[in-house]
Amino acid sequence: MSVLPRSIQQLINEFSRLPGIGPKSASRLAFFLLRGADPNQAVDLANALVALKENTRFCSICHNITEDDPCVICTNEERDSTLMCVVEEPLDLVAIERSRAFKGRYHVLHGSISPVEGIGPDDLTIESLVKRIDAGEYSEVIIATNATLEGDTTARYLERRLASFGLKLSSLARGLAVGSDLEYTDEVTLSRALQGRQEL
Amino acid sequence: MILSYLSLTNFRNYGRLEVNFSPGMTLLYGPNAQGKTNILESIYYLATTRSPQASADYQIINWEAMEADDQIVVGRIVAQVQLPEGPRHIEMRLIQEKVRGSMRFRREALLDRRKVRLMDLLGNLRVVLFLPSDVEMIGGPPATRRRYIDILLCQVDPTYCRTLSTYNKVLEQRNAALRQHLETGRGRDVIRILTDDLVQKGAVIIQSRAKYMRHLARVAQRIHYESLTDGRETLRLAYLPRLQGNGLSQSTGDEMSGEMQQLSEKVDWLAGQSDYSPVEEWFSKVVQSQEARDLSSGVTTVGPHRDDWRFWINGRQLAHYGSRGQQRSAMLAFKLAEIEFMREITGDFPILLLDDVVAELDKSRRALLLSFIQERTQAFLTSTDSSMFPSTFLRSTKIFVVKKGRLEEETNQSIKHVEEVEDKTQI
Ligand SMILES: Nc1ncnc2c1ncn2[C@@H]1O[C@H](COP(=O)(O)OP(=O)(O)O)[C@@H](O)[C@H]1O
Ligand SMILES: [Mg+2]
Ligand SMILES: [Zn+2]
Repeated sequence: MSVLPRSIQQLINEFSRLPGIGPKSASRLAFFLLRGADPNQAVDLANALVALKENTRFCSICHNITEDDPCVICTNEERDSTLMCVVEEPLDLVAIERSRAFKGRYHVLHGSISPVEGIGPDDLTIESLVKRIDAGEYSEVIIATNATLEGDTTARYLERRLASFGLKLSSLARGLAVGSDLEYTDEVTLSRALQGRQEL
Repeated sequence: MILSYLSLTNFRNYGRLEVNFSPGMTLLYGPNAQGKTNILESIYYLATTRSPQASADYQIINWEAMEADDQIVVGRIVAQVQLPEGPRHIEMRLIQEKVRGSMRFRREALLDRRKVRLMDLLGNLRVVLFLPSDVEMIGGPPATRRRYIDILLCQVDPTYCRTLSTYNKVLEQRNAALRQHLETGRGRDVIRILTDDLVQKGAVIIQSRAKYMRHLARVAQRIHYESLTDGRETLRLAYLPRLQGNGLSQSTGDEMSGEMQQLSEKVDWLAGQSDYSPVEEWFSKVVQSQEARDLSSGVTTVGPHRDDWRFWINGRQLAHYGSRGQQRSAMLAFKLAEIEFMREITGDFPILLLDDVVAELDKSRRALLLSFIQERTQAFLTSTDSSMFPSTFLRSTKIFVVKKGRLEEETNQSIKHVEEVEDKTQI
């Protein structure tokens, strides 16, 4: 039995379930919040955590995380709706937006094909992508998966899957380091990779 | 290349060791279980990122440091290497860390004090390791021979190493996809994509192995014929890629079967090709012919992950017909060929690590080995008994006594003692 009050012990337990946080750092965080100089900090954190789940959802069109469904990108009339960029994760989308080199629409797959991890095409949002393209007026799809084996497999799967639509299919110019995550690629490199995209 | 400095922290039975080495011969001697082999292992590990016995990596960290029950234990191998292009600082960290109650092991590699991928260490320090157990490889399982050749080739060809690593990932993905197909009947399209990858990466591996094995075989044959058997025996090494469904018929496995002969000729032809398309075509055809079998068994049944290579002497397979002595000579020729091979490919001699091997050899093979390495660059030898080395050899050799994880440089007095002993034995 812990001699700590239940509320503290519970917070410590919750912190230790987070990635990269062990029991020691979890206790440190909990006591920091308990004794912290800023009395509002714990409450602000609690509110932010509640809002995270209550106010965010996935966009029903592009599957990005959003507070409003459809998201601001899908509802923005000024964006080019003949151009689509397919990414693995929401953070990849954020990275590309930061580069300001792309003004089309997005589609977030939520992962990449990896049989070892039990992830097949059906576990990604590929069906929804195919429907969007079928119904839309897209003329080019940029497949911006990561430069990893899984990212490449996914790109090639999409290439085959979308072949019948007669679109221009392109991939990012591989100025990107092999094995790299888009999320961690700097804006300049990413912007260049978008401009130099290659037809598949 | 010259290894001029080595430092070990929490590595095997070395809590802390710092030692400077010089070019030429270095003898590490002392009683058993003192840490002689561990020194060679540390150098080998830094060069290849692997342990010679393929033992689990965390076992390399010093036990006492692990028992201290700290949150984190770090084993460290640091070396200063003099390359033709300048000095290089190489470091490997073995980290055992407690994460949420369980132990996690990871490794970090540093080149000139900057973090790099493990693979990037390869080629900065190249070694050839001689072990008494090397000879067992001749009759051992194919996996042992594959591992051996891969470690050798990774030291001389970074592209080979990267491709091999990717090939293994593709193989793992393809096998997982095959298993899922077996269970659910789905995923043929993904298997097809992975098959293309397998063929593309596999072709590079096969072609490289064919080319390098042919090179190695030529050098080994010459050394064996000229220096070890006085022209009486012809050693042949054959690379046998797994490019047929059922493998080669092993019924007798003595004389080279017609089938094997054919394969071997085709491999020779491949080795001379300048691009990968003939291998790709060949491998692709074989994979396709085995697809039904792969699908029903849930594993990839053909490809470089099942390759083999073997030794023949005067047309008979060494593993089955060779005497112990013939096997030893063949292995010695092969190891000496490795040294030449590495020099021819990289332009620089590797560092030689000889663990207890001198004791294993008879007088003439011992003399050949010692003269061969003496003419070359740097070599580290271990022995429990310095009296088996000729005094001329000892005079030009730096000697360290190894005792309970400490190294002590030996002065001239003990060499004199050795000479006396030798004089007596000659009477
Ligand atoms: N992880 C380890 N931590 C501490 N000691 C170890 C470790 N692994 C092996 N040893 C010790 O190292 C010694 C063997 O060293 P080795 O270099 O093989 O000896 P030798 O001098 O006979 O070549 C043994 O005493 C063994 O107990
Ligand atoms: Mg030993
Ligand atoms: Zn959206």
